[in-house]
Amino acid sequence: MSRNLWLTLGATVGVGGAVFLAGRRASAASPGASSGTAGNLPPIELAPLPRATDVSGDLQKNWGDTPLDLRPLFELMAEVSKIPGTGRLFATFAYRESQFVTTAQNGNATGEQDERDSSRAAYRNQKDQNPPLKYGEQAAEFGSGGLFGLLAPYFLWTGVPEVGKRAPLLQAPPELVFQPRAAAFGAVVYMQRLLTRYRIDDHADLKAGWASPSLLKGDRGSEKYHEVRARFLDDAKALGIDLTDTSTIPEKLDASAWPGVPAVFKALVGALPKELT
Amino acid sequence: MTPDLSIYGDNIKALADLAGDFELRSSMDVMTWYRREWLAIADALGFAQQFAAMPTAIPTTDDRIAAMNAVGLAAFERSLQGRTPGASDEQARVQSAALRQLAASARMTGELWRVTADPTTLPAGACYSESGRSLRAFYPDTAPGYFGDGWPGPPPRAESACGWTTPLVLHLGTFPWVYSTRLDSTGPGLRWPTSGPVLEGLQVAVSMFEPRTNLQQDARQVAAIFHHFITHTAPLLAHVPDHRAGRAEPGRLYHRGGLLHVHQGSLHIAGLDGPRGHIAAPAYNYIIRRFADFFAVRRATLRALPKLSPEIQRLAKDSADPFLRRHVQEVARAS
Repeated sequence: MSRNLWLTLGATVGVGGAVFLAGRRASAASPGASSGTAGNLPPIELAPLPRATDVSGDLQKNWGDTPLDLRPLFELMAEVSKIPGTGRLFATFAYRESQFVTTAQNGNATGEQDERDSSRAAYRNQKDQNPPLKYGEQAAEFGSGGLFGLLAPYFLWTGVPEVGKRAPLLQAPPELVFQPRAAAFGAVVYMQRLLTRYRIDDHADLKAGWASPSLLKGDRGSEKYHEVRARFLDDAKALGIDLTDTSTIPEKLDASAWPGVPAVFKALVGALPKELT
Repeated sequence: MTPDLSIYGDNIKALADLAGDFELRSSMDVMTWYRREWLAIADALGFAQQFAAMPTAIPTTDDRIAAMNAVGLAAFERSLQGRTPGASDEQARVQSAALRQLAASARMTGELWRVTADPTTLPAGACYSESGRSLRAFYPDTAPGYFGDGWPGPPPRAESACGWTTPLVLHLGTFPWVYSTRLDSTGPGLRWPTSGPVLEGLQVAVSMFEPRTNLQQDARQVAAIFHHFITHTAPLLAHVPDHRAGRAEPGRLYHRGGLLHVHQGSLHIAGLDGPRGHIAAPAYNYIIRRFADFFAVRRATLRALPKLSPEIQRLAKDSADPFLRRHVQEVARAS
């Protein structure tokens, strides 16, 4: 989903470069600087990142350079969604989309129109078919962001196909995507949709679908399709994750045990503050 | 009698408080304190799951602390089983032999936290062979860094087969961050061969959790390295805001309880950059916590000293550290 990646790095603000969050392609801005849509809301406090002891799966083998403190989140996503083996794929996605910066945002740099064009188009094309978003216009202007580079309108509509108006993020601002548990929720729901609604031939197809589901349909086999797949394979290699290690990533991912949007939301996010529900 | 740690520096008591105080003679205190510190180590080094799976019963052996350390080291060893060896068997052998020799002599001199040696006096000259070439078994970490102003000399007395031209310097007290200039998010010691050196490195570091080894270590050396460390990191930390619950921004780096914290983000990709180079946030936290642990154990040990074995009391009495000797005399007078 990211094109020209623009990372939102709160840590750099006003510190004269002494403090940073690493990002191989990072530029910086403060989280609220992009749109300020949540300015009137109190800070959203979700549960902290899960810890190693919150998951049962392995956190050492075939994770490459995935940050130690994010591995439990990726593994929890696989465990909660009951799609074994996806944790390391989410790590590889996050490596590309955000360089593991939870507040990464694509679409707020000067001259960076592409992601905002995409989020505007997403909102314009879907708003009549989907339940209204309280912060719809802001989401349209937001671009994409968070660990997994989710387009803001789609992120806020997460779960609509399954639960309609009871989808949990309809009242939330797009900045919620900076909360890693909320981003994780959006990502696992999307992963499940890719696995159940599209032809997925291999793991690289998932990344193609992550970039755009059209690459798994009409644009399958296009130059873009091959480009996204090749980049994903390069990313996995650079991160140190062996996609062929079937002891950690099954050759075929299976979403048949998907527990449903409400259960996944509860396990990953818990409950949103009253103002957002 | 609670010892006055300020003799090692004005901020040493506050440093020890960061790790918390405990009574060495209380089984429950010992279990709680050591388990918490081991959990912090396990979190930082990536073996929290293995540590959580270890038995949690209060050790009933004579040496409870040795038992707690054994549990932590066993968890660490178990976590190594899934890792690739990381280096050749020969490098592992040379490193292990060097570490054993360094640790043995450093215990005698009271300078185990940072060991400095002429590499040519170590087994195999601290060199190993690979593909017909002779290579250094450790990184020559002699430039100015966060632990000191550098150790350019004296040069080795003998000619080195693998090109050593400086002393070998290892900061074992903060293992795996053993080098003054390589404070990345993964400590370089974790890349040592899993077949021995990596476990031995952590063994040395946590041996200072034990009263005997803690008293053998000259606290003045630890305090000096700590003061150097904070002198060079304080200007960088001055730019980091204090964490306030309920008002923190996602993804932002904060100062919280004496350590670094990223709110709703990864600490492992955060860090500080300064004239002495890069220091990753996990490295900063781990290092501060090891310093704090050292002085917390020292405080608890000195308070319990009159009730400890004569052998341990003798260590304090005969220490090279004049502060420690004076404390023993004061306790004797008071009793």
